[in-house]
Amino acid sequence: MTNHDIAKTCLGLYRKMQVIRQTEEELARCHQRGLIHGACHTYVGEEAIASSVCSHLRTEDVVFSTHRGHGHALAKGLPPKELMAELFGRQTGCSRGRGGSMHLFSPEVGMMGTSGIVGPCILQACGGGYSFKLMKTDNVAVAFFGDGAVNNGAFHEGLNMASIWKLPVLFVCENNQFATEVPFAYSAGNPSVGSRGVAYGMPGLTVDGNDALELHRVAGEAVARARAGGGPTLIECVTYRTRAHAEGMGDFTYRTREDVEEWKKRCPIQRLRTTAIEQGIVTAAELDSVDGEIKGLVEEARKFAESSPWPEAVSATQFAYSEDPVSSKVPIQNLRPAAGREITMTQATHEALSEEMGKNPGIFVMGEGIGQRGGNFKTTAGLFDIYGPTRLCDTPICERGFVGLACGAGMTGTRPVIDFMFADFVLDSVGEIVNQIAKIQYMSSGRLKMPVLLRGCIGIGHSAATHHSGNYYAMYAQIPGLTVVVPSSPYDAKGLFKRALNSNDPVIFLEHREILSVKGPVPETEYEIEFGKAAIVRPGQDVTVVALARMVHLTLSVCDELEKEGISVELVDPRTVLPLDIETILQSVKKTGRLLVVDEGFAPCGFAVDVAAQVADRGFNDLDAPIKRINGAFTPTPYSPPLEQAVVPQAETISKAIRELMRE
Amino acid sequence: MPFSITIPRLGWSMEEGTFVRWLKKDGDVVRPGDAVFELEGEKAAQDIEAVDSGILRIPHDAPKPGTVVAVGAVIGFLVGDGEAVPNSINANTSTSASIPKSDAPSASAIVQSLPSRLAEGHEAPAAAPSVRRLARERGVSLSALEGSGPSGRIMAEDVRTTAKGKTMPPQAHSAQVASPRARRVAKELGIDWRRLHGTGRGGRVRERDVRAAKPQLNQLSGLTVVPVSSRRRTIANRMISSREQTASVTLMTQIDATNLVGLRTQFKQAANGSNIPSYSDIIMKLVSLALRQHPLLAARSEGDQWMIPSMSDGLHIGLAVDTEGGLVVPVVRDVGSTGLFELANQTVKLIEKSRAGTLVVSEMQGGVFTISNLGSFGIDAFTPIINLPETAVLGLGRIRREPVVVDDKIVARDQLTLSLTFDHRIVDGAPAARFLQTVSQAIENPSAWLLRSDG
Repeated sequence: MTNHDIAKTCLGLYRKMQVIRQTEEELARCHQRGLIHGACHTYVGEEAIASSVCSHLRTEDVVFSTHRGHGHALAKGLPPKELMAELFGRQTGCSRGRGGSMHLFSPEVGMMGTSGIVGPCILQACGGGYSFKLMKTDNVAVAFFGDGAVNNGAFHEGLNMASIWKLPVLFVCENNQFATEVPFAYSAGNPSVGSRGVAYGMPGLTVDGNDALELHRVAGEAVARARAGGGPTLIECVTYRTRAHAEGMGDFTYRTREDVEEWKKRCPIQRLRTTAIEQGIVTAAELDSVDGEIKGLVEEARKFAESSPWPEAVSATQFAYSEDPVSSKVPIQNLRPAAGREITMTQATHEALSEEMGKNPGIFVMGEGIGQRGGNFKTTAGLFDIYGPTRLCDTPICERGFVGLACGAGMTGTRPVIDFMFADFVLDSVGEIVNQIAKIQYMSSGRLKMPVLLRGCIGIGHSAATHHSGNYYAMYAQIPGLTVVVPSSPYDAKGLFKRALNSNDPVIFLEHREILSVKGPVPETEYEIEFGKAAIVRPGQDVTVVALARMVHLTLSVCDELEKEGISVELVDPRTVLPLDIETILQSVKKTGRLLVVDEGFAPCGFAVDVAAQVADRGFNDLDAPIKRINGAFTPTPYSPPLEQAVVPQAETISKAIRELMRE
Repeated sequence: MPFSITIPRLGWSMEEGTFVRWLKKDGDVVRPGDAVFELEGEKAAQDIEAVDSGILRIPHDAPKPGTVVAVGAVIGFLVGDGEAVPNSINANTSTSASIPKSDAPSASAIVQSLPSRLAEGHEAPAAAPSVRRLARERGVSLSALEGSGPSGRIMAEDVRTTAKGKTMPPQAHSAQVASPRARRVAKELGIDWRRLHGTGRGGRVRERDVRAAKPQLNQLSGLTVVPVSSRRRTIANRMISSREQTASVTLMTQIDATNLVGLRTQFKQAANGSNIPSYSDIIMKLVSLALRQHPLLAARSEGDQWMIPSMSDGLHIGLAVDTEGGLVVPVVRDVGSTGLFELANQTVKLIEKSRAGTLVVSEMQGGVFTISNLGSFGIDAFTPIINLPETAVLGLGRIRREPVVVDDKIVARDQLTLSLTFDHRIVDGAPAARFLQTVSQAIENPSAWLLRSDG
């Protein structure tokens, strides 16, 4: 480096650190004055880390961060005024008032989000790295996290995945020695974070987190290695936050005033200043001028935030779903054909996946045994040979890890398909689905898309017992941001799967294992089925039955017999639980006056409850009888066949309920 | 510019705290990070550090130790050397931001409105659901009762005691229920579902029961069921009652209305912006004069008796009005003693209200006679139906210029046919004819009759 370069680097780092410091101090003042409405976690004392790492990053490189993320956002290029406006809850904030201190999004500068949950940023950075690997760019992804994250599963799963797939990721641990208030010395069996790198097969280092120049050097090497395809690096930066965990919180119940004062003396900004002046790299006047310039910038930022408009209350639900939900040109054919070529549901989704993978190089599949083996249920058979291991990626058994990765990949331009095999397995990753995948579009005010398809089998049968049989659609249907598909026929499965592969919203695609091999007509031409459009499986006059998945087949099996008795059943399959096509159900009830919902899932707060409540509300005057529901027994699924049979709705249960309903 | 020292929020939901004490004295130099005062929040007392530097100034009205202070409140100042010292904590307005209020009432506002209403004495008295049901069935208002149970709770016995004193019509089918759909269909078809036998569980009336009660007409091809409004049903019942309960006879006569037309023309010219009396108005006024001479035609049948109104009072006369919802007969008050232009104002208002459906029941009651005008539809003569409990109704036909023989010459004159239907139970043919004759004379010479009446 020339002297000029060194001076430029020093000034650049100093400037970044001062922007962070002065903004944070102004935010602390504003918090004390009640201008900040929620939590405010400052980065004071740790400025050197974000500043040094980010000075090596380009706009296209991506950063994933934590609840203490102001510094990362500013270092990555977020203007202070957008940060302040966000904390002030204004429309001009970087998350348009939807995030606040812990949910900062600025994809325009590669700031892919801070998170109120500890751990996910590590997995999302792996996802960013995976996208870059798949798209063959030399971009890198960086996860900043605290010492509190390194004893979390996300750390282990994320570092392992990054290592086995050689992902271009920097894992930057800011060890400020307290996980909120729990000392790291207490909570870590191995108190050296840097030394853990070797455990995952990657370089791991421990650096003085308050030494900006040393950090700059180390981070530069790691970024270069990642860009060159050399894989990930773990960097532990030992540091200290010199303000409370959050503004307004007491600080001296878990650490002493003396400790804090001691660390204040090691201020990274002062240290760089002293070094740079002593070594004659820059003059005090140059640095003073930076200080003054930033003072003005921060002052201006606060004024901007204070004078910015509040977001409009009517827009509160905007961005929960993509404003531009689908990006395909395949014709929509919601109506089922009566006849044609017959294939199974598994073949139907395989066909959909295969067609779309051929068109879209951003689609990749992750799961256990979905590579060479072709999937436990033959969901990916033969695709590995065509598309190779990056697009058909076998995973370690770490559901949380690869679902969190999918989130980061979806945000960075690729389209992950996560194949769970059994939906029960995914419960380990529910936090990633509910807290991250479902909420990212909203928190980023629609500037990030979340095209993630999560598929797995549900349903009771063949003594699969309780860890391979759950019906979880009702649970997911409570989460804004998700789409929940539960197909009952090969035709629906293919059309909805193709829709999901072109959706910008995350889709949970749940396939009932007992009907995977049921055949049905599926045209050979391409088509899609819209979400939220029910199918009238069988038209009728006397009673409406709403059912999903296997319950559609079970209900259908009793319809002819009932018809002979003079009871004409109209069978409605909503196909998607979320969004729910309540209009079609209401139309049917308007005709028949009677409603039975057959739901293999549990009753409390479930699918049948929702259908019943909406019909009772909006279709009250059409009802000629009380609404009836049949649900699976409220118990874990048993193994023994007679027990298993006792917990699932049976055909006789359905026909009996329909006869009863006619007598009401 | 001095820096304000404000009360910070400790923890997420703190709105106020207790000011414990100052940790610096007035005049002390304060630097960022110095503990300035102690504040007790939700969890514990905490030292609050300065975020700015300056000389501490504690105004005389700063909170005293132990005072509860709101988050954001100013309690003191940090001033620079030589800077003016604010003498009050109110000297500088607080910088705290106000969050805009949405127009819609917030959930908390709704919740709060409830207790305040209760406090005003609208609280529903305490009673078990079973007691409430009993009270509903017996038609007893709970708010009128003193409860004899614990804490004044109303007991079943309280309801029963009160109910004994009341003469409630027994509810014929109090246990009967109908499905929402059955109720809807019953309403559409104009069927009272309470009269039906329910075939559903527990005797619930279902849609099929309602449809079965309907004549099979609607199943014939090409016919659709006409929905019957309650107004229509009332009209139907009243018409049938009139036909069944009266011995009606209609007399018709053609009279000369040339003077009537002339008079109205004069009124038009003299109207000066006010409502011009219509032919109906003028004839109504003339009829009221004729009724004074033939009071029996103004009799009302009340129960078994026929009552003749006092002729000194202004007579109330009904006017049949055609509206979208069907025939209504608003009653014009005190026709005998009301000036014609005022009468015109009254009828215009009543017709407007009739068409708008805003007539109140009292405006359709108390009539002694009714006038029905079909002239505007080109009808000459018809047989109007008596509006019970009145005795007679006068139908007005169209006024038409016709050749008539006057003094052996054929001249053009305005002709009008009157149709008087009367109840032969009360009035015989001859007196009715005499009444019609009087009316005819009055219409043929309206000015003279009107002038005479004013005397």
